Amino acid sequence: MNPYILAILLFGLGLGTTITFASSHWLLAWMGLEMNTLAIIPLMAQHHHPRAVEATTKYFLTQAAAAATLLFASITNAWLTGQWEIQQITHPLPTTMITLALALKIGLAPLHAWLPEVLQGLDLTTGLILSTWQKLAPFALILQIQPSNSTTLIILGLASTLIGGWGGLNQTQLRKILAYSSIAHLGWMILILQFSPSITLLTLLTYLIMTSSTFLVFKLNKATIINTLATSWAKAPALTALTPLILLSLGGLPPLTGFMPKWLILQELTKQGLAPTATLAALSALLSLYFYLRLSYTMTLTISPNSLLGTTPWRLPSTQLTYPLAISTAMTLCLLPLTPAISALLIP
Amino acid sequence: MVYVMFMFLFGLVLGLAAVASNPSPYFAALGLVAVAGMGCGVLVGHGGSFLSLVLFLIYLGGMLVVFAYSAALAAEPYPEGWGSWPVLGVMVAYLVGVCVAAGLFWGGWYEGAWVSADEFAEFSVFRGDVGGVALMYSAGGGVLVLGAWVLLLTLFVVLELTRGLGRGALRAV
Repeated sequence: MNPYILAILLFGLGLGTTITFASSHWLLAWMGLEMNTLAIIPLMAQHHHPRAVEATTKYFLTQAAAAATLLFASITNAWLTGQWEIQQITHPLPTTMITLALALKIGLAPLHAWLPEVLQGLDLTTGLILSTWQKLAPFALILQIQPSNSTTLIILGLASTLIGGWGGLNQTQLRKILAYSSIAHLGWMILILQFSPSITLLTLLTYLIMTSSTFLVFKLNKATIINTLATSWAKAPALTALTPLILLSLGGLPPLTGFMPKWLILQELTKQGLAPTATLAALSALLSLYFYLRLSYTMTLTISPNSLLGTTPWRLPSTQLTYPLAISTAMTLCLLPLTPAISALLIP
Repeated sequence: MVYVMFMFLFGLVLGLAAVASNPSPYFAALGLVAVAGMGCGVLVGHGGSFLSLVLFLIYLGGMLVVFAYSAALAAEPYPEGWGSWPVLGVMVAYLVGVCVAAGLFWGGWYEGAWVSADEFAEFSVFRGDVGGVALMYSAGGGVLVLGAWVLLLTLFVVLELTRGLGRGALRAV
């Protein structure tokens, strides 16, 4: 793509999230979200093949519908209460509409159906932007609204973790696996929202780091299906050895970073007297763990039958920057001992 | 006057049903013209003459015309208007829905809902809608610049999406 156009689009992406972060007025927050949607559309369609255009169209339609619902809800709130402050929404009708609109924006179940198909049609870099950067602005709004209906949020959370787990079990395409993994993690984030928004923020940040690592590993291996991962041991042996740890961190196993949010969430849910909810969420994490384990199994723990030529490929220097991968992998594996410091930093 | 306003609103809902009933784009554009025209009439009747004029010029005279030309490019061999049964059926269904909703919400808040933009009518120069435009340029300057930037971004987005004529992602039919 023309570098000037790319610069303008990336600037628009950055500006959109910044505007939503900095706004206290619903209209300005909506403008930021729309700018994000608009700026990523050409990035998604840049390869100009029909699958990418289909993914772009689906993304545009769902995000535009969500933004329109958000605008409608803020106008309804302005009609009912006369003010546009983001943190002052108290009427239950606009609050519920805004929650559902933002759930459609980020891909929470039962409004998740677009995410696997959209992510499947994109290349891994754009998919990375979609899974990480595009979640920041809606979450900035989610963290600020006072949730009115406890049941809605818990249902959204549990449905997302269960659907994210079950949906990912039958996938062989890596981007769809990552989409369902995203849905499951978003479910965990929403589950704890009404009890402790700082834990939601912590979960979001750790998820961003872990999923960046995963996307970058797949990008380095140029892998979009599980079979490609099976031959990565000969191309990048050190990375192949580390990737199971990254995947298990995504699955939430101690002593890796991914355990931190799950531990804090289960603890908080139990303290609030929701032990059955916590049990159900923990059991649903087993479903996701199964497909992370499947990826580790095919990638590292076994060497699949292959021809002799597959054992000695040329190990040419990669043109991809490995510095971001190194940083995110280190953070994905080693941040658990810093749990007290991180939770202290994120409590407002 | 109330009767004229009522007729405008009636035409607006009729035009909305006409657009939503999924005819061919030619006829949907006609429905949009009707909706915008009726909406402008309602605006004029409640003091927003400047806003109504700007809406006519820019929306109907600029954007809808462009849309009509684009729809003409994507020509259908058998366009479906409101004479064909699928479209007419959907339109009748929507109008029945409107009548049901009207029956449910009849009475109550309508009488007090129409507040004028301003109350000085012929005696004031500083009308409600023109005052809003002045505010947009003064106190709302930052958001205006942001709006202009977003429009520029949209231009680049559309140009990038349609780049390549017959070889690009979105091809001319």
